[in-house]
This record gives sequence, structure tokens and C-alpha cells, in this order.
Amino acid sequence: MTSTATYQTEISANVVLLCRFLRKKSFNITVSEEADALKAIGFLPIHSEGYFREALKSVLTKSQLQQTKFDAYYHEFKEQLKKATDSKVKELPENKEKPEKKTKEARFEALKDWLNLNPSEEEKEVSSFSDMEVLTKKNFLDLSEDEMRLMMRVLQKMARKLAHQKSRLRKRSKLHQHLDLKQTIRSNMRKGGDIQQLVFSQKKDKKLKLVLLCDVSRSMELYSRFFIHLIYAFQNAYDKIETLVFSTALHKVSEILDNNEFDKAFETISERVPHWSGGTTIGSCLQDFTENYGHGMLDKKTIVLILSDGWDTGEPEVMKEAMKTIYKKSKKVIWLNPLAGSPDFSPEVIGMKTALPYIDVLASAHNLESLKQVLQQIHKKRNLLNRHVF
Amino acid sequence: MKSEELSQIKRMLQEQGYIDDGAIAMSLFLAMKLEKPLLVEGPAGVGKTEIAKVMAKAMKTELIRLQCYEGLDSTHALYEWNYQHQLLYLKMQERKEPDIKALEETIFSDKFLLKRPVLNAITHAEKVVLLIDEIDRADEEFESFLLEVLSDWQVTIPEIGTIKATNKPQIILTGNRTRELSEALRRRCLYLWIDYPTFEKELAIVKSKVPEIDQKLGVQICSFMKELREMKLEKTPGISETIDWARALASMHLKHLDKQIVEDTLGVILKDWQDMRHTQDSLSELLERTGVTSRIG
Repeated sequence: MTSTATYQTEISANVVLLCRFLRKKSFNITVSEEADALKAIGFLPIHSEGYFREALKSVLTKSQLQQTKFDAYYHEFKEQLKKATDSKVKELPENKEKPEKKTKEARFEALKDWLNLNPSEEEKEVSSFSDMEVLTKKNFLDLSEDEMRLMMRVLQKMARKLAHQKSRLRKRSKLHQHLDLKQTIRSNMRKGGDIQQLVFSQKKDKKLKLVLLCDVSRSMELYSRFFIHLIYAFQNAYDKIETLVFSTALHKVSEILDNNEFDKAFETISERVPHWSGGTTIGSCLQDFTENYGHGMLDKKTIVLILSDGWDTGEPEVMKEAMKTIYKKSKKVIWLNPLAGSPDFSPEVIGMKTALPYIDVLASAHNLESLKQVLQQIHKKRNLLNRHVF
Repeated sequence: MKSEELSQIKRMLQEQGYIDDGAIAMSLFLAMKLEKPLLVEGPAGVGKTEIAKVMAKAMKTELIRLQCYEGLDSTHALYEWNYQHQLLYLKMQERKEPDIKALEETIFSDKFLLKRPVLNAITHAEKVVLLIDEIDRADEEFESFLLEVLSDWQVTIPEIGTIKATNKPQIILTGNRTRELSEALRRRCLYLWIDYPTFEKELAIVKSKVPEIDQKLGVQICSFMKELREMKLEKTPGISETIDWARALASMHLKHLDKQIVEDTLGVILKDWQDMRHTQDSLSELLERTGVTSRIG
């Protein structure tokens, strides 16, 4: 009887040591988990290695990451425990689940061993988890295929989030959270003033309209594929979005993006747009837009997003008029210029200069971070005094 | 005695046709023993919800299910006063000389309380299995609100007081990791991660769920699924898709896969048309890796 008792305490001591070891590996194990672990091994049928490990794994891990790492750490712990006992006590090597008497010093040594653990291991861990952070600062041009895919996923999430903003207006709701007093009284009037039915309300979704004008001329060639990608992400999240591409002429491509998967859509657009990667006449294209599409697409709920580097080969006067009209008729004009990302950029290009007074936000959008800042601007009101330049 | 319980759970899982790799049985066993909720995470279609169903069947008890969704609140999860009922009752009492205190006690009594899943589970006459499905879809407020139930097995209703569990239910929470769950919730639960099965495990599952399947076909299906999961798909097929597919093919009395059949039945395993297109494009290669020799003619 007593031998089983000592057995138990030895195992318990090792469990406590394991908990400490795991804490060093940034597992967040509190006293209650430790207690659970001790209880759990009490329930175990036979003290076999497999059961022992499984049980501790089940109790001590709290996330997928921890669960995948547990086995390796457990092994490491066992090795160290073995080493400690081997060197200090001249006994046969013991298995962890059947530990017999070990001197205190041995365990102390083992503990000391862990305290001096090489920190580089943890550093490595951190670096692998900060992929996303590197990505946010990376220029879109330098992205690899895989990073691009990851980026698209991030963008899609961002777009979806933006698409579901709440308005201050309220509508009827089935959720019993906010009582709508006015509607409750109104709907119960015919019942003789007794309130029998409660009416609840919730916030309405804010409806946002977006018009994207994307420059696909040669000077933008490197970026346009990415931007079409971006548009594609938006197109899938927003209901009311119109996309037009231009180089020397304007083309509406909303339907193509709507009905095709990305690669196909990109191909079709390249085919349909005859001057893909040709020269640019931004001014006349924008004029074309205001004359032919402006009435239907522009109103005070619409945000106009222009993606271009501003290299205009047409008349500045035409461009000025067009930009003025767009500015007046829209909620906001955002101009994304990927060249603005380079440190020595200033809007010297003549096209950029003429357009500048009619732009609310000018941003580079050459990496995810600046793009995020732009997207945050979307729902803010037009601020006449403070133009944003990222 | 002790060893019987763990092996009992293993046997119960087996009887219900649930193939387990040791970790699942151990987690269930400890969750029952330690009386802790079990949080199960993993990709879609690997049998997370199934665990709860099998548990309920094995324990021969009722399964109470709470499907979480965005905007789920306590009135849907816990309790609600039957407002219309209360009102009618008051109307009926109007003619009599009302005793305000007694009246108040009556209208805030069990009779007018609509029990929702969580309250239902903890006040049930016998130990039940409470499945809180896809907890990550619910809002964070709901998650915090669950904490009281998960750790203390009690629910506080302002008008009545605290209701303690008559029988502690076996709670199983599942999640798809659409958002990170709070540390507080994790701490109160045992954790289990279920990944896509290994080839051997999947084969065993297919055999147990579709016993009439041809041995060769089963092997081919499982290795095809394994290859398919290696591809970068929008929606990676889970075990449930494998089983559906195996059932479909077995019901056609096929002995082996061939390209035509795979092409025709791809809709059973892939639920996204882009995935479908990609897979169709690389089907020959995929089948070659699976070891299916394409027959001409």
C-alpha cells in the first residue's frame, strides 16, 4: 500500500516539474490546471506512457499551437529528467512514469538546467509568428505568390468589414436587444392601449457606394495587376460597386469581375481593353466618365477611388474640369498613387498637380499598412481643412 | 475498475462507429472525470459535432444543442419571460382583489419562464450532453456570459435568483477558429484539437461508416482525399465529405475509381466552383499520384 503511495507522490512531483518546465516554454499554466493534471493522473487506469502523456496533453494545453508542440516538449522534459538522474544517481535509467526514489539534488540540477535554457529557441518562435507584420510593410511589388495569396485574404477580410458598417438609423429587428418604444406603442394602439407586443430595433447597415477608376496604362503596369486584385476583393464584398479601367479610353468592367473568378476576369479584361498597358489620357477618360456614367454612378453616398500615377498626356484643363465635377458630386475622392510610396516623391507630375485640389485623400497604397490607413478613411466624413496624405 | 472506464469510453465510441486515435477518448474521459467542459477545435467536417452526438448516444441521454450565431443573446440561449402569457394572466386576475406580492411571485415563477437550451440543460432531471456548437460565431459578450455556467454550473436570473445545476451537464463546445476565443473561456475547458485524419484513420472511418465498400475503392478514395487536401482549396473537404462520397460510390457498386467517375461525382466532395475548376484541371495528375491508372476507352 505504502509503495503505491510513494509512487503516486513521485509521479505528482514530476507532474509539477513538467508544469514548471512548460511555463518556461510560455504555456500559461495556472494552479488550477496543475491541480487538474494531478487529479487527472489519479483517474488513469494503468500507468502506461501513452495514457500518461495523452492525459497531461489534454489538461495542460489550451490551443492548437500548444497541442502540436506538447509532444516535443514532453520528450525534451523526459530527456532532461533522465540526464539529471543518470548523472547524479548511479542507478539504472528509469522511465518517467515509473520513477523511484531520486535525490533532491538531481531534480534541482534538472531545474537549473531549464532555467539556463537557450533563449534563442523562443526567439525563433516569435519570428515565425510575425510573418504578418513583415507583410504589412512589404512593397506589393516584392510579394511572392504565396504572400500574394495571404495578402488577398487579408484584403478580402478588410473589404468585408468595411462593407458591414452600421448606420445611425435603426430598423425593426428580431433580436431582443433594443426596445423600440415608439414602434411598440404604435403597434399596440389598436389593442386598446395594452402593450402586448414588443417591437425591437437594430442598427441599419450603412450603405456605401464605391466607384473604382483604375489606370491600366504602361506606367502603371507593375501595379495594375495588384490593384485589379484589390478591386476584385472589394467587388466581392460590396453590393454597390462599379469598376472602370482606363488608359486612353474608359471601359466598364464591373460585370466581368462580378461573374468570373480572378484569373479569368483578369484575362478577359486584358483582352477587352484594347489599350491595356498603353499610354494614358487621364483627363479625357475622366471626362468621359463624368459625361456618360456620372449621372448614374455619382451621388453624395459614393466614394470615388482613383488608382493612377497621374502621368497624363492630355490637356490639363480637361482633367481639371472632370476632377471638379467628380469632387462636387461625390462623398469623397481618394487617389491612390503607388509612386507616392517612394521617399523622394512629390506630386510634381502635371496631372497630379491639377488633380490635387480635388482630392480628399492621396495615398501611396504601395503596402498593406498604407492601404489600411486609406480604408479607415473611407467611412469618415469629408474634411475640407485637413486633407490626408499618406 | 479505473481501466474499465477508459476502455468503456473507447468501446462506446467504437460501437457508435466513431474511430478514435486515443486523444479523443482520453479527452472525453477526463472531461467526464474532472467535470469540465470540453472545447473541441478543428477544421470544418472533421467530426467535432459528431463527438457530442456520439457522447449522448453512448451515455443514453438527451443531447441539447445550442447553435451559435452572430447576435445570439441570453434570451435565446438561457431564458426568457413569457411576456404575453404574463400579461394575460394579470388581465385575468384584474377582477379579483389583487394581492400584489403574491401576484408578483406568480408571474415571475417557473410557469412563465421559457427555458432556453442552457437553462434547460442544467435544470434537467438527468445528466445531459449540452452541445454549444460553433461558439466562435457568437459575439464575445456571449462568450463571457457563458463563463458562469461553465465554471460554476449555475445561472443567475435577476427576478428569481441563482439557479444551480441539478445535474452537471456534460458540456461540449466546438469552434472553427473563425476568431480567437478568449483566454478566460479556454482556461475553464479542456482542449482538444482535431485535425484532418491520417490515411489509416480515414480508411478505418470509411470502413466503419460504409461497411459495404470495396476494399480497393476505399483505399483509393482515402488516398485521393489526402492528395486533394494538399491542394490549396477554398474549402478543403472534411471527413463528412469523404463518407458521403464513399457512400455514393459504394451505392453504385463500383470496384475502383476512374477519371470519368471522379469527374462526375466531384460535386459530392467539393462545394466551391473555383475549387471544382482547379481540381478538374489537375485531375489526371491527382489521380496518378493516387495510384489510379487511367483507362483509355
